[in-house]
Parts: sequence; structure tokens; C-alpha cells
Amino acid sequence: MPHAVANGLELHHQLLGAAREGQTPCVFAHGLLIDNLSSWYFGAAPIVATTRQAICYDLRGHGLSTHTPDGHDVATGVADLLALLDSLGLERADLAGQSWGALICLRLALEHPERVRRLVLCEAPLPPSSLEEMTSVLSSDADELLKMLPDSLREAFASGKRRALKTARRLERLLTETTLVADLKAETDLPDETLRSLQHETLLLYGDASSCRGVGDRLATLLPNSRLEVLAGGHYLAAQRAPEVGRLIQEFLDG
Amino acid sequence: MTTLTDIAGLIQEVIGEDWDLDEEITLETSFSDDLELESIEFVSLAEKMQATFGEEVNFVRWLSEKELDEVIDLKVGDVVEFINSCKN
Repeated sequence: MPHAVANGLELHHQLLGAAREGQTPCVFAHGLLIDNLSSWYFGAAPIVATTRQAICYDLRGHGLSTHTPDGHDVATGVADLLALLDSLGLERADLAGQSWGALICLRLALEHPERVRRLVLCEAPLPPSSLEEMTSVLSSDADELLKMLPDSLREAFASGKRRALKTARRLERLLTETTLVADLKAETDLPDETLRSLQHETLLLYGDASSCRGVGDRLATLLPNSRLEVLAGGHYLAAQRAPEVGRLIQEFLDG
Repeated sequence: MTTLTDIAGLIQEVIGEDWDLDEEITLETSFSDDLELESIEFVSLAEKMQATFGEEVNFVRWLSEKELDEVIDLKVGDVVEFINSCKN
């Protein structure tokens, strides 16, 4: 399976489709903890890949990328993604992120505007630690933690079978053997004036029932070239509404 | 014709040392209920299928057109049928 050596670790990624002349590839970043590249890979990415190359990657500590004890903060996530772009030879890419992945994409666009053409932020939480799903993690209470999981996974846990046990082991490792929780707590909000400075065309996707739905309005007001689309759904929107999300991203990037 | 044996071999490679299924894989074996395949393992399976059966078998695209419920209910036989339909 393809791994790029980037920022001192191996980042697992999957290419959907070949690079096309004149069409900027789109790199997809997933959310934290229970997520990995598969939510984009089996969701919106193949739709986007009908007109441009789509690249999905696993964040450090997730999926099949190197498991590291630290570096789950946004700044390190930006450094990892930049290193991935370099190793894939991409001077410029479209970026699409879900939740924490969206924060990484947003910060990369703010700090390295020349590396990004267009931006898709799906369910970006701001301030980063405000998200209900995250505060459940931060409170480190097992019952609260279970509540944050998507229904399908909660049912799987109850079954106690192989997949549930693997997921539980992974969560336990990330929560107890890495700096992830401390990294989340330490993450600060992006000031309004910083957000106002973003020049990229940006598509904002939020779920009407999501705990960070209000962030969509804030970003739509502050980001000068943004458009907000609110879909029926919760925080795990990219997976939950994959066909619609895929079509919206494709239209936005192709337009 | 792609046989059940081809697919079953790839599934076993993906699950690896975690393999603890007592029963043999059949066309009726469910990826979710019986095999308990994780989404990231499905990614590895898709990659192996592409490498084995070639570019014309766009498993990822095929899956993306399905509703989530359909994916969860997917059986080994559905995948065998899909691969054979691509080859014909």
C-alpha cells in the first residue's frame, strides 16, 4: 500500500484516478480518533475523482499511517500535509477536510496560500475544542465518550466482536498513550482578522443538526470568498451524506 | 471467471493474523456481520482487488454509488458478481 515518507513518518495515502492536465488534484483530510481515510475514500472522493485526481491520506496515528506518541496538534498536521504535498510533487492542490482535517486544511491555506487553489471545509470546529464530540473526549468520561460515537459504531461496541475490539483498542491507544487529548486542549481559536485575510474560494459544508453548525455561519461571514451549504445531518457529515457532499465538492472545484 | 477462491484469498490476506473465522467464506458471507471487516481493511481489499483484477474493476467507484445500508449488507457474492460484470 502506498506510503509517502513525509515529515519523518510514513503517511498512508490512496490515489483515486490519474493526474489530469489542467485539473488541480484534490487532497482529502479526515477527522480525529474514529476516522481514517476510508470515510472520504468510500464517500465523496470517488465522485470528485471523475473529473480530477483525488488523494486521500491517513493522519498520523490514524488508519495505516505511522502511529506517533505526539504531534496531534493542528500545526504538526499542517507540517505533515505540506510534507505529503512535497513528496507527491504537488506545488498546488485543492484541499478538502472533515472536522479536524478541515482545521488542518484551513491553517495550511492561511499560512501557505500559494500551495492551495480552492478549499472545502466540512464541519470545521472553531474554537477547535468547542465541539461537543471533542469535549466528550476531553472530559475523558467513558459514558460521555460512548455518546459521541456514531450510532453504527455504538452498536458495534455493544456486540463485542472483532471490529469493535479493534476500534476500542485504537481509541484507547490514542487517548491514553499519546498527547492527543493535551494537544486538543491546547489548541486555540483563530482570530476573526486572521479568518478575514483568507483569499481562497472556500466551500463550507455543515450539518443542520451538528453541534458546530453555528461555526458555519461565523466562517461564512468572515471568509471573504466563501459559500455555505447546510445539509440535513450531524457532525459526521462527509460520511453521512457522502453522495451529496461529493457532488457539491465536485461542482465547486470544477466551476 | 473470477472465483470465490480468488476473493476469499484476498480477504484472508487483509484480515491477516486476526483471522479467527471458523466457517469457510461463501458467496453468502457478509463483509460486515460475518467478517467484521473494518473500513480501513476494506480500503486494503479494494487496493488488492485493483492490483489483481486491473483498472477496469473500479471497486471504489462502485461502492460510492451505493447507499450506506447497501454497503453494510454487502456479501462476498455481490463482489464476485461485480468483478465478473466488469470483465464481460
